[in-house]
Amino acid sequence: MTKKIETDSLEIFAGEMEKVKDALPKKIVANPENVEKGLAKLVLTLIDLIRKLMEKQAMRRVDAGSLTEEEVERVGETLMKLENKMKELKEIFGLKDEELNINLGPLGDLM
Amino acid sequence: MNLYAYAIIDSTGGVEESIRGLLGAPVYTIPYRDIGIVVSDLKAQAQIKNEESVLKHEEVVEALMDRFTVLPMKSYTIFDKKEELLLKVKEHYEDFTENLDRVHNKHEFGIKIIWAGNVIRERIALAHKNENAPAGPGQPGAKFMKEKFEKYKIDKEFEEEADRCIAIVDGFLNRYVSEKKLEKLKTDNLLLSAVYLVDKEKRDDFKKAFKELKGSGGDLKYMISGPWPAYNFITLSRSGDGKSAATKGAQL
Amino acid sequence: MHKPIKTSQDINTCTELRKRERVTLLEILDRVLEKGVVISGDVVISVADVDLVYLGLKVLLSSVETMERLRGAPFSGAAEEPT
Repeated sequence: MTKKIETDSLEIFAGEMEKVKDALPKKIVANPENVEKGLAKLVLTLIDLIRKLMEKQAMRRVDAGSLTEEEVERVGETLMKLENKMKELKEIFGLKDEELNINLGPLGDLM
Repeated sequence: MNLYAYAIIDSTGGVEESIRGLLGAPVYTIPYRDIGIVVSDLKAQAQIKNEESVLKHEEVVEALMDRFTVLPMKSYTIFDKKEELLLKVKEHYEDFTENLDRVHNKHEFGIKIIWAGNVIRERIALAHKNENAPAGPGQPGAKFMKEKFEKYKIDKEFEEEADRCIAIVDGFLNRYVSEKKLEKLKTDNLLLSAVYLVDKEKRDDFKKAFKELKGSGGDLKYMISGPWPAYNFITLSRSGDGKSAATKGAQL
Repeated sequence: MHKPIKTSQDINTCTELRKRERVTLLEILDRVLEKGVVISGDVVISVADVDLVYLGLKVLLSSVETMERLRGAPFSGAAEEPT
């Protein structure tokens, strides 16, 4: 096979590309044993995506200075509760952060 | 006997007899109008879920690259009947001819650039730390928001820095490129993972520009790969299984 | 009996080759498994992409093992045990 890679830093690229490979979205294999876990992953990933989008939106508004002190407190409390809830749910389903890395296609690009 | 498909080409035949595909099967072309689909026969129970088959797939596709315009198939595209295959080709005929025209005489190059992302991030974080007043006892919601906001600011600046660097890359390469797809910061250190569709005639200029880019300073590491057939530049107006492109991404 | 002389240069070359193969493999897999023309054939083979990449790693690891056996000495930095 004619080979095609040119770089002066093979070691560094090998290392970094391994990291990317590990972060690759895993396919959810829906077989009877793990269909529940697979569904849980999908649902939690979507919930987490929405949570992160809301957080990001809140940050943009803080950046723009368009929130009152009271709003900052209220939004902050809500986001905090959501974050804690998310951690709880992950624990209940025995899922780690890396496992919620499903490829959401164009939805994922919203982040 | 199944049919394993490797690529769509802009020809109805003329594939060299010496090209061998998966499990050593001879590769040949099934014509459809003015295009062809390059296949090899595959036994129904054949074991091909392995690295060897995938590499073979790529080998076949590359063997075609020099003589034809190639739309490489995603691996493991298999038909059990020739009629099914032809039906699919017919369904996508317009897509295929459009793509063949678009990538004619062009090949894909991949460029990856690594920067000292974690160092840069630390530098930014340090600069911000010096700015912020220490968080006193405040209300919990506001405290949460403050912490999040500090992270947000650092992320934002980090990304802006990345954008600046990538703009420089674009500055060097853009004029030799027909199309490109960029992925910014796949990891903190992988500043850029990009693919470029480059006209054969502009290839030397492109490579020269890349060399100049490399010499332009900054603590960056570079990798270039290619030429590849245009894997990343295929657009189908409708995916073969009737789903729209938007749902294709959410894999279950 | 001739015992192969292990020089640090030999080890470096082998490790280099292994890394180059690895990077090349990742570049190929990224294209061949994920990109290209996507039309579903009527025979659907579900490929666990992650398994495939690990399979590749096992293949590389066994070639490293073989090299080690031939040299009679472990490579520096080959920390992974094949499963």
